[in-house]
Amino acid sequence: MKIAITTIKLFKLLVAVAVVACIAFWGYRWHVSSDADNVKIHNATVREIKDMVKLCSMEIYDEVPVKGSAGTRHLVARMRLRGMVNFDIDKIDTDLSADTIRLVLPPEEIEVLESTDDNAYMVIDTWNDKFLGSDNFTTAEENAMKAKVRDNWLRRVYLNGTVAKARAEARQNLLTMLAGIMRKPVIVTDSVPRGAHYPKYR
Amino acid sequence: MMKRLLYAAVIAIVAGACTKAPDSGAIFYTELRSVDKLVLASMTITKMATIDDIRLSEAKGIKQTADALLSKLKIGDRVAAYSYDTYLRAYIDMSELRPDDIRVDEATKCVTINLPAVRTEFAGREPGMREDHYRVTGLRSAVDARERADLKERMNTHLKQEVEEKDTFSAALMDRAKDKARRYFESLLAPAGYSAVVTFKNA
Repeated sequence: MKIAITTIKLFKLLVAVAVVACIAFWGYRWHVSSDADNVKIHNATVREIKDMVKLCSMEIYDEVPVKGSAGTRHLVARMRLRGMVNFDIDKIDTDLSADTIRLVLPPEEIEVLESTDDNAYMVIDTWNDKFLGSDNFTTAEENAMKAKVRDNWLRRVYLNGTVAKARAEARQNLLTMLAGIMRKPVIVTDSVPRGAHYPKYR
Repeated sequence: MMKRLLYAAVIAIVAGACTKAPDSGAIFYTELRSVDKLVLASMTITKMATIDDIRLSEAKGIKQTADALLSKLKIGDRVAAYSYDTYLRAYIDMSELRPDDIRVDEATKCVTINLPAVRTEFAGREPGMREDHYRVTGLRSAVDARERADLKERMNTHLKQEVEEKDTFSAALMDRAKDKARRYFESLLAPAGYSAVVTFKNA
């Protein structure tokens, strides 16, 4: 009789544990899974259209690691960048009526953007050094990390001579274009062959 | 002594299991491309997405209705809105310009330039995202870096589809680019006493 009562008690306990485990599992699944599905993507809006005349002499495709920390929290990601070295030639200050056209290559404008290729930005890992600490990063923290990567990347293209190469090619492209259209001798000089902003990154 | 070593080993194993090391197996690449593009116009396109629970009144089908009912039971709200800018640009590839594309009529002082076709391409997008709204309360999970990256990826795919399907984006940009090219070459030749007729090849 005593054994039967003990068995019933044990059975009730097992059932209770199973029910609690099921509820806990269901609750966890419910908490984690359905949050990601509630996304609404709105139609694109055109904010601005600008006209310009910019000569682009070089495009740089690069895949860079994004590594950053905020306190004990860390983030590692991978970002594909697209850099474009442009020269604003819309308002070049020169005498186009002279027998020989002489002009100075304008300062470079380097656009550094995230690529629009698929999976151009992927978060590889986030963690916290503290046991059970949150590994969440705010948008502002993540944006600041990306801005730092962008600055470092700019420094690198100045120091490794990529900008100097882009300037040399722009000079040649501008010369070819103007000589072809104006049908006159053209002399393009470059007063800052390593880049107009080189001293800032040296 | 042996006991201490054993404790140290156990602590090291536990600590190792609790911290994650970053994946160092990723392969990174760099590519330089020399180009001769004349960029004539740029369009800034804003894309926005919202994260919010499905409302019962908006739910369609069994799954969405179930999700909406479950959301009602959750403690707290989870609403966020994000946006970012993408740049579409129009250019002509000047390396395709041939000497016979430029004709000069000295009698009328007119230069006819047959420029290469105007093309459009995505220049790229802003690396950062704007957090236009963020309200996560109660027991709801925060929107983390991975979720934002996934969201941006979905927004990017959606945007590329939109631009491909709707001609209005590239048509408006190309019109503006052609207009700018005409004005630029006219102003370039005017000081030398020439007028310019600018035409474009077909893509």
